[in-house]
Amino acid sequence: MGEIRQIAIYGKGGIGKSTTTQNLTAGLCEHGKKVMVVGCDPKADSTRLLLGGLAQKTVLDTIREEGEDIALDRIMKEGYGGTKCVESGGPEPGVGCAGRGIITSINMLENLGAYTDDLDYVFYDVLGDVVCGGFAMPIREGKAKEIYIVASGEMMALYAANNISKGIQRYARTGGVRLGGIICNSRNVDRELDLLRAFAGELGTKLLYFVPRDNIVQHAEIHKKTVIEYKPDSAQAQEYRNLAQAVIENKDFVIPTPMTQERLEEILMEYGMMELADDYKI
Amino acid sequence: MPINTSNSNVATRENRIGSITGYVGTLHDLASQSQCGTLKGCSRCFSQSSTCLSSCGLGQLSAIRDVAIIHHGPAGCSVASSTAYYMTKVMAKKRGVSSNTIYVGTDMNENDTIFGSTESLRKIILEVNKRYSPKAIFVSSACATGIIGEDIDSIVDDVREEVGVPIVAVHCEGFKSRIWATGFDIADHAILQEIVKPPREGVKTNKINFKNFFESARPEIIEIFKNFDLEPVFLYCNSTIEELSHLSESLATTCICGTLGNYLGNGLEEKYNVPYIRSINQCGIAGFEAWLREIGRVTGRSDKVEKYIEEQRAIYIPQIEEVKKELAGLTAVLGMGPGYTFEVSRVLEELGIKVVWALAWHYDKKYENGDVPPSMKYLLDNDIDFGASVADQQNYEVMNILNKYQPDMYLSRHPGSTVWAIKNGTPAIYVADEYMIFGYKHTLEFAKTILNSVKNRSFEANLAKRTKLPYTDWWYKQDVDTFLEEVK
Repeated sequence: MGEIRQIAIYGKGGIGKSTTTQNLTAGLCEHGKKVMVVGCDPKADSTRLLLGGLAQKTVLDTIREEGEDIALDRIMKEGYGGTKCVESGGPEPGVGCAGRGIITSINMLENLGAYTDDLDYVFYDVLGDVVCGGFAMPIREGKAKEIYIVASGEMMALYAANNISKGIQRYARTGGVRLGGIICNSRNVDRELDLLRAFAGELGTKLLYFVPRDNIVQHAEIHKKTVIEYKPDSAQAQEYRNLAQAVIENKDFVIPTPMTQERLEEILMEYGMMELADDYKI
Repeated sequence: MPINTSNSNVATRENRIGSITGYVGTLHDLASQSQCGTLKGCSRCFSQSSTCLSSCGLGQLSAIRDVAIIHHGPAGCSVASSTAYYMTKVMAKKRGVSSNTIYVGTDMNENDTIFGSTESLRKIILEVNKRYSPKAIFVSSACATGIIGEDIDSIVDDVREEVGVPIVAVHCEGFKSRIWATGFDIADHAILQEIVKPPREGVKTNKINFKNFFESARPEIIEIFKNFDLEPVFLYCNSTIEELSHLSESLATTCICGTLGNYLGNGLEEKYNVPYIRSINQCGIAGFEAWLREIGRVTGRSDKVEKYIEEQRAIYIPQIEEVKKELAGLTAVLGMGPGYTFEVSRVLEELGIKVVWALAWHYDKKYENGDVPPSMKYLLDNDIDFGASVADQQNYEVMNILNKYQPDMYLSRHPGSTVWAIKNGTPAIYVADEYMIFGYKHTLEFAKTILNSVKNRSFEANLAKRTKLPYTDWWYKQDVDTFLEEVK
């Protein structure tokens, strides 16, 4: 049994981090991998598709209600394909400190011995942007060494990805954290593939995989399932299997080179638009 | 800068009045740079000590009789309760009054930090109100509650009607300012915001608001003021909420220390037109007379003041002159808060003692009304200059200066500091009581105390001989600004 690959997934809010992570996890399960998914979002919706609903009691709610003397099985549930699912949870919007919650929650998982030797992968699905130190907890010393950023061809997604790279660069200096690549969750914008390749190249990394847009993902979500579980024979299920394969085979881990705002806008100008005006149809 | 009491959050001294915690140079340079606005503070790459502003702010408020202080933060922040205890049990007893002021820490834990704990706070406020029936409630934040943005203001607004007594949110996040004296301003702001009421119509008083620390000269000052048909109202030690609610009706506001009283004095002037006495303070002859004359001018009692000065001069000046003969030529180093550093320097010069270096714990470039502090202006106008630094309570800087200059005496208002000087072989005078140099009488006593301290130095010499201080020869050879860094 090799070392556990601990992977953090970052990206702009609403970009599809949780969906991608869970479908990727399902893909890895089909490869016989043992996976744990740790949701690091107060909304606690990072494991819904694997568990078939939001049945999970969060780490922080459990600590709050039952104290710190808790057994691991109180906060960890088994989901699709034997995945271990944990949700950090957090405060209601507008109160308390979600960042501190993630720190407490991950420390608790370590103390309870959640990182067992039989695991091949641990995924941290982290809320939106890295707004404070708490959200960088999964990439601090001794935790996730690999990061994937989920992005699309939309400007704000790339802007967020560039910002996240700045955070990775900071922690890369002192710890071993590295960027493994960009995963594109397509929004069908103009020249998206070219744009993402150019953007990834500028960051010193690569576009690990391009996940096309398909409504079947939404259907599967409504049914509280991953695409692989919902429609195993669909083309989109195969895409996620391919993504899993790409992650398994990936060996390119870099310290990213975030770009200036000006450079980012240059790249957008270069790739982000098809022939102007002529293309505009109603 | 105008004082905005519609907002519970007070800007720090650094932001509001350009206060600094690091500087090494001369008094003249410090004052001129303050006047022309070019003064920039330095930071330190190493700090030996520091004081939290919440102890200062809540210490002030807990000196008021029969109030409740609710400190919303982790248990460790409740270290400020020791001051509250001292004020309630010792200072009230000394005056012969009783105080049922209560200090409650909310014991915030990890879960409260993550999920917020305003609901617990609400229950605590209501329970404290029910159990102790305080005359006012001050609800303070701490660092943890400040960082998570705990909405103390809303809770205070919500329960206001239910508690039925003045209740005010006090923002005491310790990390806000390096300058503990920001706590004085925070306390004053709370009082101005919620406790002081507009003057009652038709009420005429002869009261003078007198902001001080421990009111030790209370009976004496009451007697002095009787000469002018004035009555002092001492703040906040042993004050009642009723007294404080009428501060807006007084004839003027004065204080024993500019650092302490500046915010309240300017606030009352801005909001209620109560004149703030901006003279140098009451220490020494020049200070006492300037202060009395300003009170005389503001209250229309100049004749009575001049008569008093004349009588007192006749009694005390010859005696002071007699002691001065023996003090002439002695040298001194001081380490105090900025209010006192430059006032006591003035008195020492007045007594014929040469100040060679003064260390102020911080320095206010200007006061709330935009002027350079009066003590600095006085020293400049009178051509007095000496080495000066802003030392932020860094004892190693004090020791460096004492070792270099080997003065005849070291004066400090902070007891730990004087002990170190004595171990260095330097006679030290602990200017503990704020009224130690007040007026003619205490200036004479102060002069005699100095004389007693420097006449027989065998204690200091013997102690120094038998003490090994932790500082190396290397440090004593360094310039005192070795660890200072220019602020970028």
